[in-house]
Amino acid sequence: MNPTPEQKQWMYRHMLVSRLFEETIEKIYLEGKTPVFNMANGPIPGEMHLSNGQEPCAVGVCAHLNKEDVVTATHRPHHQAIAKGVDLKRMAAEIFGKETGLSGGRGGHMHLFDADVNFSCSGIVGQGLGPAVGAALSRKMQNKAGVAVSFFGEGAANQGAFHESLNLAAVWKLPVIFVIEDNAWGISVAKETATAVDRNAVRAAAYDMPGVYVPGNDPDAIFVAAGEAISRARAGEGPSLLDIETYRLAGHFMGDAEAYRPEGEKEDLLRKDPILVYEKALLASGDLSESDNSDLKEHAKREVDEAIQFARESQFASPASALDHVFA
Amino acid sequence: MPTKDRKLTVARAMAEAISQEMRLDERVFVMGEDVGPLGGVFGNTRGLFEEFGAERVRDTPISETAFMGAAVGAAADGMRPIVELMFVDFFGVCFDAIYNLMAKNTYFSGGNVNVPAVIMTSTGGGYSDGGQHSQCLYGTFAHLPGMKVVVPSNAFDAKGMMTAAIRDDSPVIYMFHKGLQGMGWLGTEAGATVNVPEEEYTVNIGKAATVSEGEDVTIVSLGMGVHHSLRAAALLYEQGVSADVIDLRTLVPLDRDHIFNSVKKTGRLVVVDEDYQSYGVSGEIIASVVERDISILRAPPQRVAYPDIPIPFAHHMEQWALPNAEKIVRACLRATSN
Amino acid sequence: MSSAVHQVTIPIDLWEEEVEAVITTWFVSDAAEVDKGDLLAEIMAEKIQFEIVAPATGTLVIVKHQDQLIDKGDVIATITGAPD
Repeated sequence: MNPTPEQKQWMYRHMLVSRLFEETIEKIYLEGKTPVFNMANGPIPGEMHLSNGQEPCAVGVCAHLNKEDVVTATHRPHHQAIAKGVDLKRMAAEIFGKETGLSGGRGGHMHLFDADVNFSCSGIVGQGLGPAVGAALSRKMQNKAGVAVSFFGEGAANQGAFHESLNLAAVWKLPVIFVIEDNAWGISVAKETATAVDRNAVRAAAYDMPGVYVPGNDPDAIFVAAGEAISRARAGEGPSLLDIETYRLAGHFMGDAEAYRPEGEKEDLLRKDPILVYEKALLASGDLSESDNSDLKEHAKREVDEAIQFARESQFASPASALDHVFA
Repeated sequence: MPTKDRKLTVARAMAEAISQEMRLDERVFVMGEDVGPLGGVFGNTRGLFEEFGAERVRDTPISETAFMGAAVGAAADGMRPIVELMFVDFFGVCFDAIYNLMAKNTYFSGGNVNVPAVIMTSTGGGYSDGGQHSQCLYGTFAHLPGMKVVVPSNAFDAKGMMTAAIRDDSPVIYMFHKGLQGMGWLGTEAGATVNVPEEEYTVNIGKAATVSEGEDVTIVSLGMGVHHSLRAAALLYEQGVSADVIDLRTLVPLDRDHIFNSVKKTGRLVVVDEDYQSYGVSGEIIASVVERDISILRAPPQRVAYPDIPIPFAHHMEQWALPNAEKIVRACLRATSN
Repeated sequence: MSSAVHQVTIPIDLWEEEVEAVITTWFVSDAAEVDKGDLLAEIMAEKIQFEIVAPATGTLVIVKHQDQLIDKGDVIATITGAPD
């Protein structure tokens, strides 16, 4: 079922916030890291994996999700967190390592946990699938509403956890949707050299579940495919696999010189920026007016600015509080 | 003609050792994630793909269970694989092949089947990479029988121990600390980049080294800890305390004699370990001394190790938790206070 | 025998952006004897590392040290050796 104009605007709005957030984080990340790029320095130290270009995957899927639905994500989580409704201020504060962050600074950008909206992410490839299966199992056992969605990359489809999780979800007929964000690169390794099949969607057949390939990095197409998969799950019909073609506009991590990309690839991708493409389409179809567009952009800027300001102004927890929360 | 004076970073030293062995022995090959054209995320396979090509320098899918298992099988069949586990923290997805197969097949086969594999893996934090990308896990690998474990602290040892590891018919876990590599995008301990001979050579596995001599207290460490310990020794010297600093270099087999002889001389022991404090390297070093002859100790042994917590992301929390020269100085002063 | 002083210069077009670089590693010490083509240093600009090799054979004198900031066109060392 196609998205309504309201749903399209919801998706567009969340993509705007997501992209603006990433662009802002990118600038701040570089603070203290020039001229010498040492990733230990600056207000946001450590690694940073930005989701520029992959926003459609997050919004197309999360448009169908409620607070009670569970999402597990990866080391590149910001767009999914935003689409799932994670508190942007507390998320920004966490990325800055502040006491007001989602975990008081203990997790950082790769380990964002928001129990209020059932969102979590982690840094080991393929690690989120098992927990999504478990969340789905829990809901089924308790007869409670809710589906689970696991986001991961095409590289993760070559991990054992992928195969085991799909099989288990199918055998137990669990309400979980596995979503591959195929951005064609596993750091420097191209998908064609690492994956035995052209499309991971065909692997669904090995686990007796529907597998759908969604090309074009288009929010509406993703919305339709995700809607079907999520309805299936809610109706108790079991798991599905979505294989979404998307692009990573930035490097694998900030600091990645991206020498492995073929010449011209980056420029080509920037031209196909999915947010620009969607904006053009919405304006053309009348689903978005010019004045609404500028309103949305203004709101997005305000939301991101407030979140960043909150993060910057928040205190750090005391160093010794690193000892807290090891156990319940 | 004397060898030319030239330094290498640890990353280049590792790559040089590997390339020299690959020229000598066709059975040596490398596999792992991004080890090919990229030259390894941490620079340790630099130049190998250009020289040896895709047949012997293989980029793998993100399939650690499969390629670790494959390393075991290939090694058992006569090849000499060098496999990269990109971050030691990723061991969870492939540990069975490592501790249950690689480490045990020689034993289970009564010595009939060897597994001459080298697993090289990055360790260590201090740059806010969070709890799943900053661990050392020395204790985890050292504790399980059947695999040698080496931890170089500088480029000279890095090259020699890599060559020794490749030539060793037993499986060797080669653990390199990220902060010693020489990657520009991550701060590097300058003391790790040292003179490295151009020709091949080995540094014996199983031998610790005294890197700074002293009489008053023994500091035992490994990897990055050695550099913190040397800084501490310099600070202690100003206070009239001379430290005997030992670089373990190898965890398995552990050079217990070297440690014991130093403590016999000084009577005081401080162990520095970036890995979690409990149930690990620091406890083992202390137990090794105490169980042999407790009377040589003039004060309780001290340890400067990582607290038993997941590694926090926030910079100030992580720095608070990590071993550093100041903490080592305080521990040494406690050990020499009576 | 006369000798010539060769400069070890950062190529003017080594990287694109107008940013400074830093010398991340000197692989030889001050006063070392180097051969033409030897790897001398590694620098980093815009997150990319570049190798700087010796343009001549002779004795090295380091001008810019490790961790120092440098620009395109900077002389980071000299090599005193046989004339070309």
